[in-house]
Parts: sequence; C-alpha cells; structure tokens
Amino acid sequence: MMKLLTSLLVGLTLLSAPASAQTGPLRLELDQGIIEPMPFAVPNFVPDTPAAAQYAADISRVIAADLTGTGLFREIAPEAFISRVNSFEAPIQFADWKAINADALLTGAVNLSGNTLTVRFRVWDVFSGQELGNGLQFSGPTDGWRRMAHKVADQVYGRITGEGGYFDSRVAFVSESGPKDQRRKRLAIMDYDGANVQYLTDSAAIVLAPRFSPAGDRLLYTSYESGRPRIYLLDVGRVRKQELKTQDGTMSFSPRFSPDGRSIVYSLTQGGNTDLWKMDLASGQSVRLTNTPAIETAPSYSPDGSRIVFESDRSGQPQLYVMPANGGEATRISFGQGRYGTPVWSPRGDLIAFTKQNKGRFHIGVMRVDGSEERLLTASFLDEGPTWSPNGRVIMFTRETQGASGRSSLYSVDISGRNLRPVRTPDGGSDPSWGPLLN
Amino acid sequence: MDTGTKISAIAHVTLIGWALFGGTFRSEPLPMAVQEVSVISAEEFAALTAQREAPAVAVAPGGLEAPDAPPPAPQLPEPVDEEPPRPDTVTPPEPDPEPQPAPIEAPPEPDVIEQPPVLAEPEPEVAVLPALPESQPRPADKIAPEPIAPPPPDAKPDDIETPAVSLDEGAETQREQQDQTAPKEATDQIVTEAEQGKDLSPQRSPRPRARPSRPQPTARPEVAETDTPSKPAPQDQAAINDALAEALGVAEEPAGPPLTGGEKDAMRLAVSRCWNVGSLSTDALQTIVVVGFSLNRDGTIVAGSLRMLDSSGGSAGAAKQAYEAARRAILRCGAKGYDLPADKYAHWKDIEITFNPERMRIK
Amino acid sequence: MNVLSKIAALGALALVTACTNNDPSALGGAGGAGALVPGSASDPRSPAYFQQAVGDRVLFAVDQSTLSPEAQTILQGQADWLLANTDYTATIEGHADEQGTREYNLALGARRANAAREFLISRGVAGNRLQTVSYGKERPIEICSTEECYSKNRRAVTVLTGSTAG
Repeated sequence: MMKLLTSLLVGLTLLSAPASAQTGPLRLELDQGIIEPMPFAVPNFVPDTPAAAQYAADISRVIAADLTGTGLFREIAPEAFISRVNSFEAPIQFADWKAINADALLTGAVNLSGNTLTVRFRVWDVFSGQELGNGLQFSGPTDGWRRMAHKVADQVYGRITGEGGYFDSRVAFVSESGPKDQRRKRLAIMDYDGANVQYLTDSAAIVLAPRFSPAGDRLLYTSYESGRPRIYLLDVGRVRKQELKTQDGTMSFSPRFSPDGRSIVYSLTQGGNTDLWKMDLASGQSVRLTNTPAIETAPSYSPDGSRIVFESDRSGQPQLYVMPANGGEATRISFGQGRYGTPVWSPRGDLIAFTKQNKGRFHIGVMRVDGSEERLLTASFLDEGPTWSPNGRVIMFTRETQGASGRSSLYSVDISGRNLRPVRTPDGGSDPSWGPLLN
Repeated sequence: MDTGTKISAIAHVTLIGWALFGGTFRSEPLPMAVQEVSVISAEEFAALTAQREAPAVAVAPGGLEAPDAPPPAPQLPEPVDEEPPRPDTVTPPEPDPEPQPAPIEAPPEPDVIEQPPVLAEPEPEVAVLPALPESQPRPADKIAPEPIAPPPPDAKPDDIETPAVSLDEGAETQREQQDQTAPKEATDQIVTEAEQGKDLSPQRSPRPRARPSRPQPTARPEVAETDTPSKPAPQDQAAINDALAEALGVAEEPAGPPLTGGEKDAMRLAVSRCWNVGSLSTDALQTIVVVGFSLNRDGTIVAGSLRMLDSSGGSAGAAKQAYEAARRAILRCGAKGYDLPADKYAHWKDIEITFNPERMRIK
Repeated sequence: MNVLSKIAALGALALVTACTNNDPSALGGAGGAGALVPGSASDPRSPAYFQQAVGDRVLFAVDQSTLSPEAQTILQGQADWLLANTDYTATIEGHADEQGTREYNLALGARRANAAREFLISRGVAGNRLQTVSYGKERPIEICSTEECYSKNRRAVTVLTGSTAG
C-alpha cells in the first residue's frame, strides 16, 4: 500500500507522463547491459556403446575447453548438474538447467563403429527452451576425434555468437629451446589449442616467422639454411620445401602470401637497404614495390588483395604505412608515441593488429585501417608478432620474458582485450601464424 | 684449411642432427583426412524432433536419476512454494542493488598534446591518457553498467540478489533456508592488460572525435530512488496484486496513472542486469532489436509471447543472435516475475523493449 | 629416439662447442676456427690477432647504424689487417639487441653490417672479399635484459671466413 501511495505521489509531483492512452504497450529502450561469459553446460556426450565411452568423455571435454577458452563462455561444473543426460533423444528438463543458471546446453552422443566415430549433437537455449540451429552429426576416423570435437565447438560457437568459430584450425610457429644465446629454433605446426605438435624442420638452421598460405596447405618461412636469411616455401602435407631464389648476396625475409596464394610480398636486403618486393610464385619473377633508403618490412595484404600495410622507418623510426598492392604512394597510419611494427590485416578487413614499443614496454594493439581508434590489448616486457584467428576475433602473439633466463612463449587475447591466456606448447614458442579453418 | 677439422665438424653436425631429429620427422602426409560432415537426414531429424516434442517438463521425470554427486547442487527454492508470505517491513529483500542505470561516459580520455613534433611530421603527436590510477578499474570477468563490489564469500552468483536466510526458530517470519546470492563482481569497463598498472604514458593515436553524445534518453526524476527501498518483494507484489484484483472485484484493467520515470527505469534496469552481450559477434553488437512480450499480473512472462518486432543495423543472422541475447535477458531476469506496480497493469501488460548495444560495443 | 642417442648427441654438441670458438656463426662455416693456431694471438698475421688485438667488432647506439669515432678506429685497424693479409675474406655479421621486432631488427642488423663493410671498402679493401649477413636479435652474446648487455649486442662482427690461399 505504501508503494501505491508513493507511486501516486511521484506521478502527481512530476506530472512526468502525459495522460496518454493506456492501451499501447510500454516502450523501453535499453542501452546498458552486461558483458560476461555466458554460462553453459556440457553433460558428457552419451556413448552408444561402452566402447565409445572414452571418446564421448574426451570429446565433451575438448568441446568445453574450446568454448571456455574463448572467454565468451563459462562452463558450469558437472558437479552442479541436477539432470543427467542418459539419452540423446530424451526430452530436456529445462527447469533443471535453469536452476543452475545455464544459458546454453549442449547435448550429444557418440557412436563408434569399427574405426569410424560419429558425433551427434544439439544446442539448446535453456531459458526459452528452444533449440539453436538443428541437430548435426560429424563422422570420421577415430584418430581425428579432436578435430570432430573442434568442429562441434565451432558449430556451438557460431550458433550462439553469430560468427564463425576458429577451433578446427592449426597454428604454425617456431618452437624454441635452449638458452637465449644458443637458442634452437624449429618450425612446427599444431592444433590451435597446442595439441598435436609436429616438427617440420630440425634446429640446424635458424628459422623465423612462418606464414600460412590462405588455403593452409603451404607455409612460407625464413631460414638460415644457406648461411643467410632466405625464404622457403614448404608443402605442409608432404613436408617438402623449396627455396624461393633471390639474387646472390641478398637477404630475403618477411614473406607473406597474397590472398589468392599465387604471389608473395617480402623484404629484400641489398647492401644495407631493405625494400619490399613481390614475387610471382609460378614464374619466380620479382618486382620492386618500395624504393627508399629506409627499412621496409613486415608487409601484410588486405583480405581483398588491393592494399598492403607495412612497417617503415622512413620517418626516423618504425611506423605503419598503407600502399596499393602494386606499390605506389604510401600513407602513414600510425601517429601515436612510440614505435609501431608487424602490422597484420584482420581477415575481416576492418582492423590492423600491430606491435607497439613505447617507454620500454611492448604492446599488442589493434587500430582501424585508417589508423583511428587505436587500442592496446597487452603490455609486457616483450610482446610481438600478432596473428589473427580465422574469424578475426582472437589474436595470438609471442611473449618473451626478461633477463638471462628469458623464455619465449605463445599467448592469445580477445580483440576486446579480455581473456589474455598462454597457449601451451611443449617447448618455448614464437612467431605464430594462425591458419584458416580446416575443411 | 685443415681438412681434418672440416671433416670433423661436418661429422659432428651430422651426428647431432641425426641424433636429435633424425627419428622424429614425419615425412608422411599429416593426418589431414577429410572428414565427412553430414546433416542428419530429414527422417532422422523428424524422428528426433517428434521425440523432443514430448512434454518438456514431466512432474516426476521417470528417467531422472539422482545425481551421483552426494551433495546435490543447492537449488533455489521457488518463492511460489512458500507459504503465503506476510509483508516484511523490517528487512525487505532488496532487488535493486543499483538503482541508477547511469549512462556510462566514454572512459575519461583527455586529449593531451604530448610534445611538439620532433620530426617534421604533418600531425603533432597527440595522445590519449588512460584513466588515472584512482579511477583505475580493476579487471573482473564481468562488465556491468556499474561496478559491483566483490560478493560476500559464500554468495553464489545470481543476477537477482537474495539475502541469506537461515533457519531461525525465533524469527517472526518463517522462510525457507536459502543460500545467499549476490550479483557477481563486475567492473564497468573492460580493462586490458595494457590499461592496468600505473603506466600513464600516452598509448593511443588520435582518434576521430567521438560523435556528440546523445541526449539522455529520459531525465530521471530524483525521487525515484526514494521510491525503490519501499518496494515489496516480488512475492509480496503478487499477493498485493491478487488482493487488489479481489478488492476491486473487477477482472478488467484498472485505469491507473501511467508508469513514472522511476518505475520505467527500474524495469529497464531489471532487464539490463541479464542482458549479456559478452558472447555476441561484432555484427550482432551493431544490431538493434525490438522485442515484444506480455506479462501476467504477477509480473511473470506470458508463455510464448516473446517475439522480435524489428531489427536494424545488422544482417538477418546478426539480428537472430541479438534477439536471442535479448530474449535470454527478458526470460532470465523475469524468471521470478518483474516487479511492477499492480495498479498500473494496463500500462505494462504489453512491453516493447529496444535493445541498443551501441554503447556496449567498445567497453 | 632413445635416451642414449640423446645423450650421445648432447655429448657431441659439447665437443663441437668446445672445439670451436663460442660464436654460433662458426657452426655454419668453421673455416675461421679451423685456421686457428694455438697461442697465435701474438702472431700479427693470425686470425686470433685480428680477433683480439685488432678487434673484430664494433658497437652501435640504439637504433643506429652510424659508426662512432671509436668504431672507425677499430675498422681502420681491420682494413689495415685485411690489406696486409690478402689471403683472407670476411663476413660481417650485423646484430641488434632484443628491443625491437624480429624482422625490423634483421633489417637493422643488415644496415650495421653494411656500414662496416662500406667503411672497409672506403679504406681500400676489395668489396668481393667482404660479405654481410644479419642475425637481427637471434644471436645475442650477452643475455641480460639491461643496457649493459644490449650495448654489446648491437654490433657488427667481422668474421674471417677463410684464406683464399687455403
């Protein structure tokens, strides 16, 4: 009753709302919400037979780890579950999942038939009691079970966030071991989450900065195999490499594929001067793109192939510039304090990730392609070399710790700056290159 | 050069190379077996769907086993199950921890001319200072309109704050024991690693001027705040509603005065607490959706009344995700009924909410 | 691979390290090391003399590739030595400290190596006797993360790669 009086009083005092028709709906506008990981539940997938039980459990765990790892989702510990899911077909007890505040629920089943695994799953919006998308299933050989889990997680991610996932993808990187002054570097490739590491070179020669081809079937990298930095092209499936020849006495490095995969842009050092060149892979012919006494390196194509962003110290210290893909006038886009390097164009084309060095600290940051809206995501003794997840949502990079025992490892961060986390590798790691989603 | 040394060196290197790596290469193609991806067949799917359409909530689900973990997760007691509550004027549950949905200012970023350009650059170096340490938000994994202090250690996270109630025989009001709940700790903006600590160095390029800030959506009457604490708990509200309906003896809507700004704000805030845009794509974050729904007299949502009325700014796919997030917000925070003035039911029977994520994009 | 072979490999690595100088670049072309004669630092025609008495390296300021007067003095000594010992060729290795991105530092190291090479050529050493290579920040000799170490890592090292008369 108090309430009634107060309301009345308030209404009278303020004369706030016109005495409009009472029949229309109440219209409100919300522009404030919350940003937090969405709670979800993944009860272990139901094995069709006892033989599939281990796969079902493992697949469920990998899916949950994928989703949690994005920072966009938070897994509800299975101990909190009220319902158990013993059958893929049984109706969902939504009240039980609401009670533990699960926004989303993933149910699934795993069938093992000979050497073939089949994973079926459904995604549920708990509070509305509706299914998100349709039930789907993946089949494949048992040793591809992690990939199947990643594929399911990609689906879940896509259905909830509305953008493509990135779990079924691989990362090429340089595996590092040994002390700083005797560091051994090997080219390696792994699943995006650090699983299934495979080495592609030995450590006899220094290798640097691999880059995936747009299709993910080839790698470009720089190696000292010949005694000086040279670019190599490696067929990932066959682990077969070829040197991309440049003029004797020169150094070539910093290679990147064009979006069509048919040419590369790279740095060529003649005398003390480093410029950008472009090489047609079929003919091996190179043309010069920049011609200044400054250092031009770390190029990156826009996804449409029309422009190249790169690093140049023509102004006195390294800054970022954008030029047409065939060379020509370059426009400086970075104007903040400090030095900018290793620009990488996002797969969506709207952002450029970069390394920034300022006042003795290194940062990974993003800016719009015109240089506006710069935002620094990380800060440490040494961060560098960003690479984008296939959906443009996450950046992986190299972080090196300080001092004589300094160690290099891989980290990832959401482009909002949240969810900074290390990527586990067997040894140290550097220079990640995130490949495309696998088919 | 000494040939012996040469040979020795070559042999050494070869040996090392072989010993360390000779056995580890896979020259075979990496396991890239293409895996079949097939959609469940139409028949299968129909069969599954049919089964799914069995009654969704069985009173005593036959197949439901007891959880195998000995302590079953504490289930929030449904307020409905309680005996008719008496108005409790001493310690009313406080549903509104943050009465003000204060519009969030863009983080204070005074533009500061750092220093005259050293080189003959076209532009002067302009930088933006990060927030000063005193106002430095600390990182938390939840971003909310306003910072929420760390919850009491025993509280379990819930969007709807509930005080702990313990069994107390001498208490006047009998209530079921329930766990204390409190909203999760939150900060009011994302704190990146680069913004932590006391690094005050300018870190940003000049950005284009922010567009002029929009006028406040509604001027909030200041009285609204005094209004809030006296609000009865939802269950009380329901009781009042019922009593009212009975007393008035009319099934038809009482033509009360329209909702005050404060009451609208309270409703807005009630939904915004559950409007989680943290898992939306950048596209969906640029999509404005208008969602309509109806409420029962007790403030609960009329089943099946939720629908998307309009969307703008994004693709159909993005609108779908944006709608789903909005739907979750309305359903989740309305799970126990919205607290609205019963005498004005006619004014809030149908509600349309515009969810505009523009300001949530770069938090 | 079994543990034994790993141990064997490590042992072999230690041996190689022991019988060359500590500069990792020597792994690639061990010629300079091969020409070492024990106790020859006093022999003005020996590579050891070049390394120690003449000075095989010059240091640079942060981000810079210009030669300081001190660096020029050392390079003058190198030029004199190379002009007197025409059997030798050399590779000049450019290096950078760890404060910089990998690829930029590679280019910066090349600038430094080239600055040294240009100087030697200007003093009469034939260009075809002088190669350059950059290691960027890949091969520091000092591993602390302070200016004391950084200043020693920002260097151009003239490595004798063999006697043409060999």
